[in-house]
Amino acid sequence: MVQANEIESIGFKWGKKRGIGGKKKDVQFYESFTYDDVEYELYDSVYVYAECEAEPYIGKLIKIWENSDKTKKIKILWFFRPCEISNFLEDDKTLENELFLASGEGAGLANVNPLETIAGKCNVVCISKDSRNPQPSNEELEMADFIFYRTFDVGRRVILDKIDDKIAAIDIKFLLNRVSIQKSNAVPDSNDNTTANAAVADVAADKNALPDSNVSSASDNEKIAHLTPSLVKQKSSLGEKHASNLGVELGEMAKKARQESMSNDKISSRSKGDPVRGESKAVKVPAIEFQAEKKVKATMDSGRSSDRPSKQAKLDDSLKASDDRKKIVQKLNLDSGGSDVKAVNRTATASEEKSKRKLTKDPHWTENISSKKPKLDEKLTELANGKLLEESPREASNVSKTANQKVEVTRRPEADKSKWFKRPPWEERMQNAHAEGRLVLLQNLDPSYTSAEVEDIVWHAFKENCTAKMIQRTAFSSPHSGQAFVIFKTSEAAKIALTKLDESCLLLSNGRPLVGSIATLRLPGKPSTFFGHIYIDKLRLQMQREMKEAVSTSHCSQPNTIEYDMAMDWRLLQERVDLEWTKLYKQQGQELRKLKANLKSK
Amino acid sequence: MHYSMEPTAEAKYAAFEEKVKRTIFVDNLSPQVTEPVLKKALDQFGTVESVSFIPNYLEAGNIPCCALVEMENAEKAKKVISSITQFPFMMAGMPRPVRGRLAEAEMFDDRPVKPGRKIHCRWLDPSDPDFEVAKKLKYLTQKHAAEASFLLKQQLNREEKLHNQQVETLKANFKKYEMIIGVLSDKTAQNLADHYGMRISDDS
Repeated sequence: MVQANEIESIGFKWGKKRGIGGKKKDVQFYESFTYDDVEYELYDSVYVYAECEAEPYIGKLIKIWENSDKTKKIKILWFFRPCEISNFLEDDKTLENELFLASGEGAGLANVNPLETIAGKCNVVCISKDSRNPQPSNEELEMADFIFYRTFDVGRRVILDKIDDKIAAIDIKFLLNRVSIQKSNAVPDSNDNTTANAAVADVAADKNALPDSNVSSASDNEKIAHLTPSLVKQKSSLGEKHASNLGVELGEMAKKARQESMSNDKISSRSKGDPVRGESKAVKVPAIEFQAEKKVKATMDSGRSSDRPSKQAKLDDSLKASDDRKKIVQKLNLDSGGSDVKAVNRTATASEEKSKRKLTKDPHWTENISSKKPKLDEKLTELANGKLLEESPREASNVSKTANQKVEVTRRPEADKSKWFKRPPWEERMQNAHAEGRLVLLQNLDPSYTSAEVEDIVWHAFKENCTAKMIQRTAFSSPHSGQAFVIFKTSEAAKIALTKLDESCLLLSNGRPLVGSIATLRLPGKPSTFFGHIYIDKLRLQMQREMKEAVSTSHCSQPNTIEYDMAMDWRLLQERVDLEWTKLYKQQGQELRKLKANLKSK
Repeated sequence: MHYSMEPTAEAKYAAFEEKVKRTIFVDNLSPQVTEPVLKKALDQFGTVESVSFIPNYLEAGNIPCCALVEMENAEKAKKVISSITQFPFMMAGMPRPVRGRLAEAEMFDDRPVKPGRKIHCRWLDPSDPDFEVAKKLKYLTQKHAAEASFLLKQQLNREEKLHNQQVETLKANFKKYEMIIGVLSDKTAQNLADHYGMRISDDS
């Protein structure tokens, strides 16, 4: 109800002026501005709202100006997430929070966007050992949302370890870490600011309903600190060395949590610290409007390039391109045997998939690609040629080696057949398997893997057919470690697999060693008790009887009722718990990142 | 044959992504909430296409239920979320409100394989330079899982505490109202009012 007002009241203020430009000298450039109570400066890294994508784009502000018609514009030099350029990464290992700075010349380097598309500040630290780069302190690394040390040449489409002297005509010293900012960069503060601002109208209502939210949250944080010893105890029963570290770490976490709750007198609905999940509503609401603006801009732009082909044509072309590739693939695979064909095929389609994704992603990018289209065809075939020539000798040498070989997980032979007959329901099969000791729980999978992919992994690793089920994500699932149930054919096979997983290490893509254990299964059926629904004893029987038959049992709670006040207590608890989960998983992500940095192989 | 299947795999994935966008994730659900209850409850904001509960096989105890609710389109999905967020939304009981957010691909049980993804796996020998690091990573994974389950337990404890607190509050309130009804119905209030010459009936 108040949301509309909230949007309008998003504050904006220009900062330092920089100079004027444009044909009529009517364009004013700026060095900084304040938007939504966050101060942005030139060369800051920012999140940019992305339509159709779960995660926002990340880029650096390299130009800020206001046109004569009062439209505010920013030019953004892009960072790429590894998943966006996975085609060109080959087998390169990437750090978990690694980004690639765009470089070179061509589409995808930088774009002009309305200033309002900014969704927040992002802390990207350059960890390049390059002498031009002021080295970040440990503290700064801890604070970093992302890091980068490599660039992606958008023209040549290759990853570069060396950083050019100039990118997008900007001297590199502006794009690496800043000396002056280094110390004063108050990252936690800016985070807190954004969080506070992201508070949605209804959370403000929360606050009203609960006058002493600060006090209670402080005591809750103390609780975390209390947990520490008992957690340590739990840990040591696991027989693990890290136990002592953990105490300290959790203590730190509690400290941080406290800091935050002090500076936030509003408890934000969903910490904006993780817009990664694309869920923080507050960011999206204003951004949607601006998106429309962006679209208009895109169509206007397209008007200029008259030779812009239709989407349909573009897709056809990319299809053709990958067809070409397939042909080459086929040829090359004739002597290496048919089994690889499928695998390489997947690669071929990746490029096609890619061009489609870009289509939705960035109007400028796709536009440019399409205007480059005739060349692209050749390039793709060239690329495929080059890649495959490189790849085939590697494969050959792999075959000769037996130990330590890296296997690409492809579909296993029977994989497609299994869909054609109907099996008993999963729950029943799982219970049987559990009773017979054939049910295994796998951990540390990439959460985005599907059940079919897990089955393929098991087949490749143990040469065992199995049925697997990824455990579905819920509000509290770890973003770092995906879990899956696997039913083996026999309990022996399950045991052998577990022993092998325990004694040796099966390393999956992105440095994930697989963890296995005998699954403990919760008895199926719904939980018997549920906290939070209260009945008055005298009315209970009657109510429960009514409820059994009732279907329409929902309503919105209205303010000024006991029920509403109590509901607000629950809301507050929900938000607080959410905050704790975010903290925990952030902490865990940092620990993983640190450890993964020690991996030598790709 | 395989080649001709490729485009459909991609079309399938694109269709799935669309489905994700029009689906919301609802949690804090009482076990009393059944599919028809959930459907009926959200039908008032837009047409519910399908409901599927996310089963909980792993965690012991009283974890509230959660479900995926597919709406007719993404716009409606967002509308549902804002509607049940604006005011606390009660389903099959009170006062604990349900909560809705946009669904994510990983929440779906039957999601298709993302086309074009490569997965590699490799057995490490104890002689491999990465063997020790990988071992540590395995420990860390287990440690993290233990931490998460600990936090979950803690969360449930706090939910229980709040529940008990609210039961007490409600009891006290109920008693108060009962007493008021009591003195009104047995004429005590009326007698007192007459005695002090006050009007207490609210039909004026």
